[in-house]
Amino acid sequence: MPKDNLNQDNIEISRRKMMGLVVGVINLGLIGAIVGPMVGFAAAPLGNKRKSRWVELMDESRIKPGEVKEVNYSLLVVDGYHEVEQKFTVFLRRSEEDVICIDPACTHLGCRVDYHADQHKFICPCHGGVFDDEGTNKSGPPPKPLERHPVKVEAGKIWISREV
Amino acid sequence: MSQKTYKPKDAPTLSPEVKVDEPREAVSSEERLQIERPSLRDWMDLRLGWYGFVRKNLDEPMPAGVGWWQTLGNLLMTLLVFQFITGFALAMYYSPSPDSAHASVKHLTYEVGLGSFIRGLHSWGSTVIVIAVVLHMLRVFFWGSYKKPRELTWVVGVIIFQVILGFSFTGYLLPWDQKAYWATVVGTRIAATIPVVGHALLVFIRGGEEVGALTLTRFYSFHVMLLPASLILFTFLHLYLVRRHHIAGPVTPAKGAPVPFYPNQLFKDAIVLLFGVGLLIYLAVALPPGLEAIADPTGTDFSPRPEWYFLGLYELLKVMPSGWEVVATVIIPTGITIGMFALPWLDRSKSRHPAKRQWIIMSGFAAILLIGLMTLKGILETPPEHKKSEATLAESNDIPKAEATQLESLGE
Repeated sequence: MPKDNLNQDNIEISRRKMMGLVVGVINLGLIGAIVGPMVGFAAAPLGNKRKSRWVELMDESRIKPGEVKEVNYSLLVVDGYHEVEQKFTVFLRRSEEDVICIDPACTHLGCRVDYHADQHKFICPCHGGVFDDEGTNKSGPPPKPLERHPVKVEAGKIWISREV
Repeated sequence: MSQKTYKPKDAPTLSPEVKVDEPREAVSSEERLQIERPSLRDWMDLRLGWYGFVRKNLDEPMPAGVGWWQTLGNLLMTLLVFQFITGFALAMYYSPSPDSAHASVKHLTYEVGLGSFIRGLHSWGSTVIVIAVVLHMLRVFFWGSYKKPRELTWVVGVIIFQVILGFSFTGYLLPWDQKAYWATVVGTRIAATIPVVGHALLVFIRGGEEVGALTLTRFYSFHVMLLPASLILFTFLHLYLVRRHHIAGPVTPAKGAPVPFYPNQLFKDAIVLLFGVGLLIYLAVALPPGLEAIADPTGTDFSPRPEWYFLGLYELLKVMPSGWEVVATVIIPTGITIGMFALPWLDRSKSRHPAKRQWIIMSGFAAILLIGLMTLKGILETPPEHKKSEATLAESNDIPKAEATQLESLGE
């Protein structure tokens, strides 16, 4: 096909197509330029790693074998942009051999369970989950036992470790 | 198809006899644009071309049989505008930080003049809106108004419904009291029940492992930026579609000619607005909003319960056996949502008459009955009392001794 047969319209169309393509690419770039960093910024907390910290709770003598005790303590933790004294609750259960530390967050949806000493059970007030005094799920919706925190007894003191 | 030539088959038209306000001269005509010294009113009109637009909408033909049930959309929109205005006012006094959120809400409610009223309007507004949006959707559902060519009007409406639920979920946390905190702990935990990505999603929503400072700023940001912007966008799209495809008449066409929107329908709208907004004002005055104790992760005097319109889901979670919670948290709500979006394509019958689309009406009834009964069960059930706590305070830990002593004196 001779060169001069290429009429003005065809040149015009390919020029239009080209420019349209460039506009499309630039727009995609603009969207990427704002959405990409935005998502990364919003999702930044996903990269935060929690560290284990040991906390001294109380004298070993304050809990008798077979007893379950609710213990409140607080820790200075970093909560976003500030450091706050955050309160926590755990249940300590002492058997003849050892001490276990049970987290009160129901494994169903995170409500705080209560210990009913008369029934030796942890009961969740939200959806009626029931756990035995070792935190094993017995009935209701909870899918797994209550979480435990590592415990150590040193020089007559009970320590627990928790991730914050 | 351009907007000018598009006309749905069932588009109502006003008969030439119907009296509408005397039309003003067409403003777009060449000669009028040449007028050298127009009056201010004409000048505005010439520049904006607004008069024709307003007129077109006021003269929008309403098919016979359209009436009270079609006022709910206007009520809903008005209530949303109220939320926007009261929300703007509340944001002047509110501070989204765990240190100050509760105190700022306390201050604006009890110390700022009219604070209780403004906050009452906003918090009761969310309840009245949920009622209005549900009634609005039920009307469209039973009238079959979502059928061709109005599928997208319905889809955009469902998006608006989701945005409204997003508003109530994020807004609920902002007072940072016990109720707010625990409802959010449980509500966000729902995300964690999703297999594989659940935990990451939970951390993303909360801005960390626990509900804390970053959860509050995140929810605030959604509540005052993203959700209002989406709501405005989708509401305009919804209204545009309503006007483009016109109002669907009654299921069996009523006798009579279409009448113009103004003043016939607008009058009914105004009466409903009077009662709707009247009810809202009454609620805000008669039942002023309360504020519970400040959010406390160790608090034992509080049983978490969500807002009443989420109680159905809450009850559903109770009856799910262990290991099946994902059915209640994800599968059923997602199923209902997908069903809502897909409704115009699930119900393919030509007829809009309820008797001609029995299975869809039945599934609708079943869903409404399930949600209604579960919600009722939740409302009637008195929450179990949290057991009185007999907590021991830790002897020492890594917070400064002085503060620990102070804590001890506050405690036991």
